[in-house]
Amino acid sequence: MIRRLSFTAAGVVVVILLVVAFVGLFMLQQPGRLASPPTSIHLETVAAVGTANEWPRPNDPHPDWVGYLPTTILKVPAYSTINVQIDQEDGATGLRNPFWGKVFGTEGGMMHMQYFDDKGNPQEGDMTSIDPTQAAHTFAIPDLGVFVPLLGVSPNAPAGSANVITFSFKTKGPGIYRWQCFVPCAAKTVFGNGGPMQTLGYMAGELIVS
Amino acid sequence: MSSFRIEEADRPHVIRLAIIWVVLSAIAVIAELLFLHIPPGDQTVQGQDQTNTMLLMTALATPVFIGVVMMVIYSAIYFRRSGPELVDGPPMTGNAPVQVVWITVSAIIVLFLAFVGITTLATNSSAQTVPGQSSSSASGSAGGAGSEMQVQVIAQQWYFTYRYADYGGVETTHLYLPVNRPVELHVTSLDIIHSFWAYQLGVKADANPGVDNVFHITPQKTGSFQVRCAELCGIWHGQMSDAEGQVVSQSDFDTWIAQQQQDYAVIQKVVPSYAPYYFPVPLTKGS
Repeated sequence: MIRRLSFTAAGVVVVILLVVAFVGLFMLQQPGRLASPPTSIHLETVAAVGTANEWPRPNDPHPDWVGYLPTTILKVPAYSTINVQIDQEDGATGLRNPFWGKVFGTEGGMMHMQYFDDKGNPQEGDMTSIDPTQAAHTFAIPDLGVFVPLLGVSPNAPAGSANVITFSFKTKGPGIYRWQCFVPCAAKTVFGNGGPMQTLGYMAGELIVS
Repeated sequence: MSSFRIEEADRPHVIRLAIIWVVLSAIAVIAELLFLHIPPGDQTVQGQDQTNTMLLMTALATPVFIGVVMMVIYSAIYFRRSGPELVDGPPMTGNAPVQVVWITVSAIIVLFLAFVGITTLATNSSAQTVPGQSSSSASGSAGGAGSEMQVQVIAQQWYFTYRYADYGGVETTHLYLPVNRPVELHVTSLDIIHSFWAYQLGVKADANPGVDNVFHITPQKTGSFQVRCAELCGIWHGQMSDAEGQVVSQSDFDTWIAQQQQDYAVIQKVVPSYAPYYFPVPLTKGS
């Protein structure tokens, strides 16, 4: 009788442990992090959003404002590689802090650029920094440690030309990351930091990682 | 002068109130000392001083607060008007002994706190000054452990960067500090008014263009700390923060700063030499 009871009690305990383990493992289970395929972003930077080459916004309330086009709200997957191409069509303003002339946080710590030199000749190459005085804008996501300076178009470059900058960076977990320009590029504003620098859709943006 | 006298009928109330006050005050003060987090903490000597001062003031204020609240609640319960008739309370004239006691106790508490506060301020100001070196000097020699290290905090819309004058003016994107080494922080701005707030370090300093705002700290505990802007400065003010500040050992700091110098070499030739402050340049967009 006692032996039978012992077997029964042991069986009940084992069943309870199995049920607890099953439920516990189910509750603790988390979705794995699947690396997403590379995502591409294509942007255009212009001195006036109303006269852009690729995505002009002639009906914009501020057609003479500097801006990134077609949008500054970018949606990308988490834990993935983002390939960025920026067609930079604006002239140089110069960085207030020359330190941002260096490339940070991209894959390989560099960017690839097709540009026009001082004499207007086309050039191409990988770069880890640019002359801070020749920066037109930066593409910076501070919370991801990404800072990329964008070279201004040479005054001797053919009319309507652009410097094409490409680079890649990796996203972290889901969240909304602000991105911005560190060049005081807002014409006709105090210290070049007003207007478009302070407005989403122009030189301020959000990287929505989901 | 009237004598201090408690009516026979009031004695149970006085004894009851005194017991309640002593017990509640003791419990509250002990709980504060054991469990209450008083900002900013103990990551720097200065933060520790601020925390101790705040804790002392809280511990002194607690019995006063409990006494006032206790009297209000006790009176509402025991001395409540019971009937419909509205009558004046008994006339009370001055009571010299009571007045002498509360004035004396208040004066002692206030003067004691003033002494503690002034002593703390004086200690914080003098203890970090290295003899023979100006506190506003912007360039120092490369110092080893023990000498005061100069770090410039540069605010800009919307990020803080840091320059280490003792290490060739290398600029970095995060603030690393060696433990147990006095640091002279030079806070400035490149554009508009910001405020450098490193809560755990016990520092909140205005960052103004063209101004060199000097603060002294001595980290005494390794670990991370957060930096954020405490002055409304534009669209991304709320995100002008960095959670990657670190207080590390001297050897770890040496390794880190060497790596930063190596990375910085790429841009060093075009970055202006270290200066106590900067002015917004260019004033307007060039193109």
